[in-house]
Amino acid sequence: MTGISGNDGSSTGIRVASVDDIPEGEGIAISSDITGTEDDIAILRDDDGTCWALNDTCTHETASLAEGWVEDGDVECPLHSSRFNLRTGKVDGLPATRDTVPHRVEVRDGEVYLFPGERP
Amino acid sequence: MTVSSVVVVGGGIAGVSTVAELRKHGYAGELTLVSADAVPYDRPPLSKEYLAGSRDLESIALQPPSWYAEQRISLIGSAAAVAVRPDAGEVELADGQILTADRIVLATGGRAVRPPIAQAAPIHVLREVADADRLRTQLVPGARLLIVGAGLIGAEVASTARGLGAEVVLVDPLVPPLAAAVGSEVATWLHGLHAVHGVEALATTVETLLETPTGVAVQLQGERDSREFDAVLLAVGLSPENVLAESAGLEVDRGVLIDAGQLTSHPSVLAVGDCSRLRDHPRAEHWEAAQVDGARAAATILEIAPPPAAAPWWWTDRYGLHVEGVGEMRSPDAVHQTVVRGVVGEPPFSVFTLRSERVIGAVAVDDPNAVRAARRMIDRQVDVRASDLADVTQNLRKLL
Repeated sequence: MTGISGNDGSSTGIRVASVDDIPEGEGIAISSDITGTEDDIAILRDDDGTCWALNDTCTHETASLAEGWVEDGDVECPLHSSRFNLRTGKVDGLPATRDTVPHRVEVRDGEVYLFPGERP
Repeated sequence: MTVSSVVVVGGGIAGVSTVAELRKHGYAGELTLVSADAVPYDRPPLSKEYLAGSRDLESIALQPPSWYAEQRISLIGSAAAVAVRPDAGEVELADGQILTADRIVLATGGRAVRPPIAQAAPIHVLREVADADRLRTQLVPGARLLIVGAGLIGAEVASTARGLGAEVVLVDPLVPPLAAAVGSEVATWLHGLHAVHGVEALATTVETLLETPTGVAVQLQGERDSREFDAVLLAVGLSPENVLAESAGLEVDRGVLIDAGQLTSHPSVLAVGDCSRLRDHPRAEHWEAAQVDGARAAATILEIAPPPAAAPWWWTDRYGLHVEGVGEMRSPDAVHQTVVRGVVGEPPFSVFTLRSERVIGAVAVDDPNAVRAARRMIDRQVDVRASDLADVTQNLRKLL
């Protein structure tokens, strides 16, 4: 997890993982120490292979979305199965009622770059 | 007839799900939700985080208060319906107000069963937030709590009460409880956790409960002397709330009888959640089942396709462990096989029931994605091999 961000911390993003480190349908959590955000950020890989990023903590209770089930554009929380849209962070299934925060990710040369705080 | 007004009576997950699903699917007509509570809240935390004091009422709201206005739902909170007149399409409230609607949805839930014993302050049930508030005042370090019934609620409260420092005795004549839901091996291990965490779990029943100046004197069957407790929780099941349905002349038998589309015996009245029962089936009594009921009721009202059938799913938490189940667990026999992934008693682990090469049920402890995989295996009718399920190095997703 090497930060190679530009001076403003956002122009090139933070290299957080190789795509191959994240199995399709799963996720990894990136510590807030690295992202500089309040919450950790979950990098989530959909079953079509695309990568997305959301705040890691479920807005319902304390669970890590990086440990959730990723499928068909949603991540399902491992605790109570709340579902969040990978692209928008919007709640797609109760019990969560508050949307979560999406972040921009880019995949270049098989590496995942995260842009904390930037909208996808 | 196009439906242009709907009144939902009851603000639990079933009622709130009904109004949410109606709007989600484009229903634009009048929509009213009558709730006994000022703002509908979620019940599962009442035996866990809310009881422990780590979440408050606002944080367990089923929807933020502003949501109802945003969705153009007229929320009539802190209200009670006293009569339903199906032919007239009327719901009468305790304050005399009469609501009229093309469709009425009963989501009246249930009450915690109270055996026919004297009502006394230290004898509790747990269903409403007020119940949890009352019980919590008694869960102080060293307080002596008797829990009658070691099902999901009783076990969750035992765990919460221990966390708050109370001394807990848990009685249930059935040992182990939950065997039908999780299989006997997992049930035995789960029940054994109580003793590990300092709860005295006894296979017995209560003969008498007597309020005393300082608490409750309890005579347990098989014991010579009575025991003294500061508080007693009766966690012995749920009784559907069917007073309105019965007086409305609807067909009721341990729940308002409904068809697969949640319709009652009257064509303009539907019923959802704990108050209802699909004819020839037991009541589900789980959170997700109530939510799906709401989605089905909305589909029936809007005459659109119902949500796809899915294996029932539930969860519980005790002593920091997260337990989930899906589908149906069966004992091994000629056609059913039990497959263990990991080691029972060493979380994370999961147990599957296979009928031939199809998963029909699964239970997992701290292994939620095993249940998510199992759920899809059941719903999609995927053939799997027992050896693949049991292999912890095998990614269950790859079996779908």
